[in-house]
Amino acid sequence: MRSRRSEVSYTARQRSYRLLLYVLMLVGCVIMLLPFFWMLTTSVKTEAGAMRMPPQWIPAKLHWENYAVAWGMAPFGRYFFNSFFVSITSTIGEVITTILAAYAFAKMRFFGKNVLFAILLGTLMIPGEMLLVPNYVTLTRLGWLDHYEALIIPWMVSVFGIFLLRQFFRSIPDELWDAARIDGCPRGRYLWRVVVPLSKPAVLTVALFKFLGSWNAYQWVLMMTNTESMRTVPVGLATFSSDIGTAYHLLMAASVMAILPILILFFFTQKQFIQGIARTGIK
Amino acid sequence: MRTWRERIGRAVPRGLGKPLGILRGKLNPVAVYRRNPSFWKETGTAYLYLLPALVILTVFIFYPFFDAFRISLFKWGLLPPRPYVGFANYTYIFHDKYFWRSLWHTFYYVIITVPVTLFLAILVASLLNKGLRFLSFSRTSFFLSYISPIVAIAMVWRWMYNANYGLLNYLLSLLNKIPFVHIQPIDWLNNPDYALPAVIILSVWHYVGYQAIILLAGMQNIEQQYYDAAKVDGATGFQAWRRVTIPLLTPQLFFVFIMSLIGSFKVFTEVNVMLMGPGPLRSAETIVYYILRSSGRIDGATQHLGRAAAASVVLFGIIFALTIFQMTVTQRKVHYQ
Repeated sequence: MRSRRSEVSYTARQRSYRLLLYVLMLVGCVIMLLPFFWMLTTSVKTEAGAMRMPPQWIPAKLHWENYAVAWGMAPFGRYFFNSFFVSITSTIGEVITTILAAYAFAKMRFFGKNVLFAILLGTLMIPGEMLLVPNYVTLTRLGWLDHYEALIIPWMVSVFGIFLLRQFFRSIPDELWDAARIDGCPRGRYLWRVVVPLSKPAVLTVALFKFLGSWNAYQWVLMMTNTESMRTVPVGLATFSSDIGTAYHLLMAASVMAILPILILFFFTQKQFIQGIARTGIK
Repeated sequence: MRTWRERIGRAVPRGLGKPLGILRGKLNPVAVYRRNPSFWKETGTAYLYLLPALVILTVFIFYPFFDAFRISLFKWGLLPPRPYVGFANYTYIFHDKYFWRSLWHTFYYVIITVPVTLFLAILVASLLNKGLRFLSFSRTSFFLSYISPIVAIAMVWRWMYNANYGLLNYLLSLLNKIPFVHIQPIDWLNNPDYALPAVIILSVWHYVGYQAIILLAGMQNIEQQYYDAAKVDGATGFQAWRRVTIPLLTPQLFFVFIMSLIGSFKVFTEVNVMLMGPGPLRSAETIVYYILRSSGRIDGATQHLGRAAAASVVLFGIIFALTIFQMTVTQRKVHYQ
């Protein structure tokens, strides 16, 4: 009898404990989402509405035209084109170079393999910020400063991507290659027709993170471009913000536009994203 | 065992055999090739595969790494001449109070941001690991900040930090309804005491979800049998968390800790975008900010690439020391499995 009573009280306690956990999680989610909500709600207010105190959580009238106004105030079309162009080309380029190099490291025997791999590992220690100045000098010499080349070509390789793919490629059994070879399949075709399709999740992860990094890149673009027509969305947005002063409703509209492509990408590839992040930690 | 003569075959004419034999065919390319032709053919193909990556890496990572040291020894302005000046750039930055301040700001930022983010990430991951409902919704909301462009994020935080119309000061003012609480509105972005803390809050918010996802993945990898064993031994939920989850999570904890430590030393974008510069009285200038400023790329500063390179070398020294520390610890095995 006694034991039963304690069991009941335990469940009640457990229930309140669970409730507490849900409350904590709710608080966490609110803190994480509030800035996004605030961005969105400010973006559809008037300038006076944005400055109202106490603030309005949802304005009475939604001013979606703010987006059109903000779009017209700076060459956002050009910024978006640049961002898409740079992100897509550097992602494609990176995926190709990374697959080739990772395959060589994973499945081929060659002279100097271990030394080369160790050197590659070593580059992960070099902070990219240290390379800004010398790369700036190099790109000036090449005449690439303020050109697309400067934003794309140096980023067409990723040592981390090579490691990630190499790990994945290694798990593919060698018997597949033996079979392909016996059927007279050249190595190149085997790589693109067999290895890559088998490694789709890993390749997709590498590509996604490259695209994300490229879309969000700020420091490099700031350093390597001078003219408005070469700016990408983040740098364009930062310039826009210093130009418009306190028109926060327009600034928020522009910020929403800058986040939107990444959000859309994220919602379509959420699983890849989260697994990719998780994978980097587990190794 | 075959003799060297057998191994290299007829690659070496008989007369030359004796002196070259000392090298046992090791330096004779033809002999080396003949010994294992398929290996060398594969080497050729492999380098063909590696070529694109290696070319880019050489030009944009290997070469500039050494070039940074070289440039740091020159007086390097916008226009030539760019004379060799020895260690003058280092002497200059080590006598520049703004350099020391930028170092101090960076350390201050790192020392607060890294532990606070990690602590919160552990809490969040533990919460997400509780098997509550709406997992994918909450996971996504924690993750959203990390994938969003930091520039856009910095914009909304700047707006929320606004002294007069910002959401944060409004929320703080609500606390004044509690008796004996008097909170004055904070001028987050224009008060030198608050500019860097404002950046820290933004960074914690930005990275906590990312770290939590990694830790959560680690937690989900821990086998149930450990928890079963703990339960049999009569461990409470907290004890199981303290004695099973945390110890078995050390590899991920350490990975996240080191990554965030190294990453935090490079903080720049948050500062430059949210504060639209180095903060009031340069109160939030960080090392990387100092580097870009000396490069003459921001703030309308004069170009001194030599000084920028010298500061880069110092940054490299710090990161290098941290990496060595990481390797020593990792080799002593951070995990129990």
